[in-house]
Amino acid sequence: MTEKRQFTLALFYCQNIPESGLGERQALEEEYRSSLRLFPIPCSGRLESLHLLRALEEFADAAYVITCPEGACRYFEGNLRARKRVDVAGDYLAAIGLERERVGIVANEKGKPKSLAALTGEIMDRVASLDPSPVLNKRTGQKGDAS
Amino acid sequence: MITAEQKPIAEIRKMIEPYKRILVVGCGSCVAECAAGGEKETGMLASALRMAAKMEEKEVLIKERTLDRQCVKDFVIQLEDEIDRYDAVLSLGCGAGVQAVAEMYPELPIIPALNTVFLGETKDQGLWVENCVGCGDCMLFFFGGICPLARCSKQLLNGPCGGSMNGRCEVDADLPCAWQLIIDRLERFDALERLEKIYPPKAWSRKQGKGPRKIIREDQQRV
Repeated sequence: MTEKRQFTLALFYCQNIPESGLGERQALEEEYRSSLRLFPIPCSGRLESLHLLRALEEFADAAYVITCPEGACRYFEGNLRARKRVDVAGDYLAAIGLERERVGIVANEKGKPKSLAALTGEIMDRVASLDPSPVLNKRTGQKGDAS
Repeated sequence: MITAEQKPIAEIRKMIEPYKRILVVGCGSCVAECAAGGEKETGMLASALRMAAKMEEKEVLIKERTLDRQCVKDFVIQLEDEIDRYDAVLSLGCGAGVQAVAEMYPELPIIPALNTVFLGETKDQGLWVENCVGCGDCMLFFFGGICPLARCSKQLLNGPCGGSMNGRCEVDADLPCAWQLIIDRLERFDALERLEKIYPPKAWSRKQGKGPRKIIREDQQRV
């Protein structure tokens, strides 16, 4: 029988997002409890498609990344690369019959950059329309251990 | 280097369908460079296949491992410690890698996850172009380092054709005319006289027609 499980968002974010230090992160983890797993990265260009897929495979119903505004990446094109990697992860999901919307990217606003907390809230609202992941709701497909 | 592209996931899933314990094996050499079968791509494919299996509630074990080089037995042998736990290998090696693993483990089905495409050069990030057909009788000296067999759309050895316009190829205007490049290069080296010779049709017997080719170097072999 399928157990009832809390919807979980894996959220990768560039550490240059305003108000995204350790204190703010801990406050968000306290607020959202097990429905949010935060992964600070030095630049969104560090994100690989593999990170998103692994998160969806192991614990997350959706996996998103928050980037600096376009044109404002301190490494010039990290956020542009992140967008491509999200697209690649989306292609893999579509190929196995999962919704592309389980991965996504949100770029901060150029004029009025938002805080990590504000952006997290927006993403949480966006993914609320998704059903729990069929990957995590089914019993495991892994047959024992090879070791 | 050898370039390759991943097969569609639907095709891969169909091929692995009968198997319950699958080792996904990547290769850290050429196919890693062209982002088709390196450690990252192996991880992504294995992850996607595991998710697909979970969604369908299939009892399948899918593990992954990337070898430094899949076409050399000295590297393939590293699978020895775990290969007997699986009933199939899904290889992200080039065609040579798949066959090297298959020869070493004849009792196991070795399934290709990639389509091997061509011998080429990394031209830019995310751009690979064919520039060698492996003819077995390199003529780059005569053509200023530009191979007309690989880079001229018509494979002309005595070009250019009448369709070259402003240095572009008439078959595909996005391509530079290989013969324009050849002439420019030879001119730079004051070696245009190399083109005064008529080059006879290529002797393809050094590439094909005698079965798989071999290179034997006794000085490199075991004593």
